[in-house]
Amino acid sequence: MKENNNRLGWLFASPYLIYSIVFFLLPLIYSFYLAFTNWDLIAPTYDYVGFDNFAKALKSPGVHAAFWVTYKFMVVFIPLVIVMSLVVALLVHSLPRFKSVFLIGFFLPYLSSGVVSSLIVKGLLSYNSPVNTALRSIGINIDWLGTAWSALLIVGLIMAWKFTGYYALILTSGLESIDHEVYEAAAIDGVTGRQRFWKITLPLLYPSIYTTLILAFGVTFGIFTEVYQLTGGGPNYATNTWQMEIYTQAFKNLQAGYASAVALLAAFATFVSIFIIRKLLEKWGARNGWN
Amino acid sequence: MKRKKILGLMALVLAFSTVLAGCGSKKESATPTQDGVTTIEFWAASNPTQQAFWEKMAKDYEQVNPKVKVNVSVIKESPSSEASIQAAIAGGSAPTISENINRGFAAQLANSKALVPLDTLDGFNDIVTSRNMKDTIEPWKFADGHQYVLPIYSNAMLFGWRLDLLKDLGYTEPPKTYSEVLEVNKKLKAKYPDKYSWAKADLADPTAWKRWFDFFMLYDAASGGNKFIEGDKFVGDDKAGVETLKFVDDLRKDKGILAQNVTDPFETGTSLFIDLGPWTFTNWAEKYPEMKYNQNYTLSMPPVPDDVDPKDSKTFADTKGLVIYASATKEQQKAAMDFVKWVYSDAKHDAEWFQQTMLPPARDDLTTNEAFKEILDKNPQLKPYAENVPNAIPPMDNPKYNDLQTIIGQEAWNKVVRGEIDPVTGWANMKKAIEGELQ
Amino acid sequence: MVGTKRSNNKLIIRYVIAGILLLVMVYPYLYMVLNSFADWSQVDKKLIPTDYSLKSYTWLFTGGDSGITRPWINAFLNSVIVSLLSTFLMMAFGVMVAYALSKLKWRGRDTVNNFIMFHMFFPSIILLIPSFLIVQKLGWYDSYWALIIPKGVSLWAIFMYTNFFKAVPTVFIEAARLDGASDFKILYKIMLPMSKSITTVVFLFLLMERWTELLWDMIMVSSDNMLTLNVLLSQMFGPYGTYPGPLYAGSVLLTVPIIIIFIIFGKNFQKGMQVSLK
Repeated sequence: MKENNNRLGWLFASPYLIYSIVFFLLPLIYSFYLAFTNWDLIAPTYDYVGFDNFAKALKSPGVHAAFWVTYKFMVVFIPLVIVMSLVVALLVHSLPRFKSVFLIGFFLPYLSSGVVSSLIVKGLLSYNSPVNTALRSIGINIDWLGTAWSALLIVGLIMAWKFTGYYALILTSGLESIDHEVYEAAAIDGVTGRQRFWKITLPLLYPSIYTTLILAFGVTFGIFTEVYQLTGGGPNYATNTWQMEIYTQAFKNLQAGYASAVALLAAFATFVSIFIIRKLLEKWGARNGWN
Repeated sequence: MKRKKILGLMALVLAFSTVLAGCGSKKESATPTQDGVTTIEFWAASNPTQQAFWEKMAKDYEQVNPKVKVNVSVIKESPSSEASIQAAIAGGSAPTISENINRGFAAQLANSKALVPLDTLDGFNDIVTSRNMKDTIEPWKFADGHQYVLPIYSNAMLFGWRLDLLKDLGYTEPPKTYSEVLEVNKKLKAKYPDKYSWAKADLADPTAWKRWFDFFMLYDAASGGNKFIEGDKFVGDDKAGVETLKFVDDLRKDKGILAQNVTDPFETGTSLFIDLGPWTFTNWAEKYPEMKYNQNYTLSMPPVPDDVDPKDSKTFADTKGLVIYASATKEQQKAAMDFVKWVYSDAKHDAEWFQQTMLPPARDDLTTNEAFKEILDKNPQLKPYAENVPNAIPPMDNPKYNDLQTIIGQEAWNKVVRGEIDPVTGWANMKKAIEGELQ
Repeated sequence: MVGTKRSNNKLIIRYVIAGILLLVMVYPYLYMVLNSFADWSQVDKKLIPTDYSLKSYTWLFTGGDSGITRPWINAFLNSVIVSLLSTFLMMAFGVMVAYALSKLKWRGRDTVNNFIMFHMFFPSIILLIPSFLIVQKLGWYDSYWALIIPKGVSLWAIFMYTNFFKAVPTVFIEAARLDGASDFKILYKIMLPMSKSITTVVFLFLLMERWTELLWDMIMVSSDNMLTLNVLLSQMFGPYGTYPGPLYAGSVLLTVPIIIIFIIFGKNFQKGMQVSLK
């Protein structure tokens, strides 16, 4: 029985194992190797350049920008999406009927392709669009995608628009799993209204919030399509994410070797960040006695 | 124990990689030569009119020569046609032949041994003679003495001006010098604060090719056609460069520049002038039929600094050509060359091209050959493009043109447009960065 | 529960707020659809256009003046084929691997489990270039293989199913084993039917993600007849003048099918989310 299971286990897991060898480990080794060359993907020959690529990357403004832009996106995107999805979840949860109609409605933005949402935003924000013409008539003239802060904000908003409904779903099921008796007991103790939200709902919802937070942090490390379509990483690298930088170097400037070095740095930064963020979240939750 | 496991894992990975490398045969596409019929892959620019032209040529040629099949497809424009070609070469599925290749990109490809020197193929000289393009093709010769590109079209990039707006401001023709432009701009802003002299988002975009249609047009005019980069050396004209940047800076200070996303700025009258290529006219015929030459818009060479005679103005030559790829088989290369030879043996084909794409064919006899007279008469807006070909400077042929032109944007042009740097410092920074890159 | 007037009013206000909020959230879609039907002189000019025509759609399929058509229908079919097959593989493999990780006891299971967690949090961007080269070595470049096989395993699907299977009591499986059922049979006859709700969720998420994939499909394919819809659409932002109307029409083509599928499965999806998130 045990022997049998051993073979079966490997057999059932084999699709993943083969996949991870061919499309994870092998590429990983390959990219370590590439990072030490100056290959351009097409030339028949190339040289080993030692740590040159890494040295160049550490000095490059594009890489510096990519490092910081990720955290800037976090500052914009995470509070926005968490608050919005909380509002939606609490609102929908309080409705006695048509809950799922609303939940599905709010989820629809998640189905959009980045290409499409970028197109719409581009249209809505062009200089002679109805929105900007109206704003100019009251004296406001902003170059939305050409100004560093607003470009960040716009991309952050698009992401928040996309993910709000998804996260609201997660939070709603968290809300639904909270026992009514808890509220009833609290009511007897005289806890109502705002207090009830801060003292009971939020702590009990924390596991769901934790899940959405982790998901949201993950999202900030993978922003590409919206930036690629809308700003190309500009203005002046203000929205140059890791993905954008690697893509530009590898497939626009055709510097596969250098791009691999940047990718390794990106991986390192991402790993360390995610690790620290998880630790901080867990500590924060534990200190407040939420989990 | 643990080490054993890791070793085992590594062995597994190694085994896999050998297997992969072993079966890493090339993609089996349709065999290029079968039953005496050679199939060539032709990649056309994603401009619909160009694609239409090549599809027709391919069909006609297959009628005359049933031994060859020409498959025309479009070069992907995302992220750029250059990147698509490079990825295809890297992916082992490069075409036999493609158009839409600029000099710099050709240099880059030639550097990576991806192109066939055309002069080594039979029939190249015949094309040069029969198409009457000896002078035109001369400056295309590469440093190694070979010709890698056959230029298809060449047009002098011009500025389009809203004639209706100019008249509204009391002018009958476009301004020719920097101070004249600045003066017109002042009047424009006084009357229409919401309009701009030059409105387009590309001005603030560092993408390399975008510099052809802003920086190089003005710089070529200011410097009398200085080459900027020659071989591996930066030979830029400092005075002209700073003056160009200063002009843009002044225009920006007077709120004459709008570097944000505008839907069709020129057509909607948001922009007083705009850099204009002849391909725009086919687009207009469909989208803005109300745009009429010498009625509501006109064309001019780029403005020049005040101490330069406007008659000496130069501009950027938007010129692209055909290349044949080294990865194609010998039969395919030969068949491709024969196809090209057939296309250019008849001036009628060039006339057809001109008619459909509005891009002036790269030949020496454009203004004299009868075949093109009718088209030029019917489309007077094409005349200035054809006439100014001798005043147009082709792009640099440095293999690093992409990086170099990105630097122009990032260090100088984009920053000046956004008012983040003064012209002198911008130019100095750019020069330093370019010289660093060239080493 | 006697609804007083006051709480009734409160409820109405809540519905109104929720309704307005929903309208704001789906407005971009409305904008897209309206602009795709708008007269060309009004595209991107009005929040709600007033003149309508089908020009954008006819342009899309006829190529307008140039008469050059882009392969919209072909790209649409490619997207359907690629998305469905990829999703099917991701689910089939996901179920298999999850079964091994949750219900079979074997040496190395914990290692594989930990490795999957590591793999999941690994920034996949780093693998893009070498994956491209491997696909090319395998001879899959510019073919369906490149679009389907490397996208045939989803760590997320494995993760979701593993968590779900863990909650299924082992009693069922042992009973079936005693009846002589093979593990494959157990998996497809017992485990799968029990996980209908989560299957809907996984299916929709995977399908949607595959349908809107851009970077991979853009890099792996070069010829016209292999393009997916999303890539074709992203290519219409060309340097030779863009046509915003047809772009919106193409966007509708890309977005509407996935929304329809979603609304069809909507009720199950929402239930499934409740189950899978608890």
